[in-house]
Amino acid sequence: MAAGPYNYSYIFKYIIIGDMGVGKSCLLHQFTEKKFMADCPHTIGVEFGTRIIEVASQKIKLQIWDTAGQERFRAVTRSYYRGAAGALMVYDITRRSTYNHLSSWLTDARNLTNPNTVIFLIGNKCDLDAQRDVTYEEAKQFAEENGLMFLECSAKTGENVEDAFLDTAKKIYQNIQDGSLDLNAAESGVQHKPATPRNPITTDQPPNKENCSC
Amino acid sequence: METIVEENIDPNDLKKFEGLYNEQARRGHISEKTQFDYAWCLIRSRYVSDMHKGIALLEDLMRIAKDDLSQRDYLFYIAVGFVRIKEYERALKYTEAIRKIEPNNRQAQQLDGYIKAKMKKDGLLGMAIVGGAVLALGGLVGATIAAVKKK
Ligand SMILES: Nc1nc2c(ncn2[C@@H]2O[C@H](COP(=O)(O)OP(=O)(O)OP(=O)(O)O)[C@@H](O)[C@H]2O)c(=O)[nH]1
Ligand SMILES: [Mg+2]
Repeated sequence: MAAGPYNYSYIFKYIIIGDMGVGKSCLLHQFTEKKFMADCPHTIGVEFGTRIIEVASQKIKLQIWDTAGQERFRAVTRSYYRGAAGALMVYDITRRSTYNHLSSWLTDARNLTNPNTVIFLIGNKCDLDAQRDVTYEEAKQFAEENGLMFLECSAKTGENVEDAFLDTAKKIYQNIQDGSLDLNAAESGVQHKPATPRNPITTDQPPNKENCSC
Repeated sequence: METIVEENIDPNDLKKFEGLYNEQARRGHISEKTQFDYAWCLIRSRYVSDMHKGIALLEDLMRIAKDDLSQRDYLFYIAVGFVRIKEYERALKYTEAIRKIEPNNRQAQQLDGYIKAKMKKDGLLGMAIVGGAVLALGGLVGATIAAVKKK
């Protein structure tokens, strides 16, 4: 596998951040496996997932770090922000406290990533509309004020989950195309993989295991 | 799982958290969080002596862990530590202990699978069983965990 040419031309690094229990791991699982985990234990530190997608007929491999919301892991998870091209920042529409904490997550994301990192706000669990505690409008306004992309999603039904991950990639790709994202910058979170085996540009990226079981 | 287990820490991070830890040690009180952060840095160091030290700090945290969630978290990182120093049989005892707390924990299952694959590759699985090492160690770790659990 490793010896052959790459079957994708870019690698984008993502992180998923937000409070405990908002559904970060379920969103990742829904995106990579198209399944919902009804009973999901709290993440220990970080989990890792990958999926290859297509944007503008370019194959792009997403390397996704799903971080634990537990306070104990804040130092652990912060070390994964570095060099992220995309950050999915998640709250739970049925729990106002998770929405109120967004500004602290956003501060972290802004401080620890680069200025071009695409930040996408996700209001998860939109299937639970009856228990809604945060309106769509106010979250939309928060997103606009802070220059974030925004969708309400459901990791349970799968609604808008693909769109959140794909729209983030499209935006990153667009930033590459218009030159605002410098691929040679140390922490752009993007690696270009020409269709040749073994590329020397592996700075701070983890080893790319195709057969990751996560 | 390999990505998570085999990754080495940025030496600057290690230095930073070591500084915080030493500072608190000097003042006479080390918070649980500071100890955990430092231990986590140590087990991901390049140096085996650091990894041992990290495991010891985590085992210390295990003893004072107040709830299942924190116990589970410490068990996981101890297991990672043992994998990194290639003490696979001991690592397996810790993934097993996590499963007692959370039978469906995917991360523990994945780590377990990763360790077994490594043992198979190194030809250790058969050897350890023949040598009875698994049984002996199992008793030891089991006793520690049992001691923590009854409170
Ligand atoms: N109804 C509903 N439940 C969801 C949804 N997404 C997640 N859940 C449930 O919410 C709980 C928490 O989901 P997780 O994905 O584990 O949350 P997390 O953000 O990864 O939590 P940490 O790992 O602790 O940070 C689980 O019991 C899920 O089944 C959703 O879209 N709708
Ligand atoms: Mg999680």
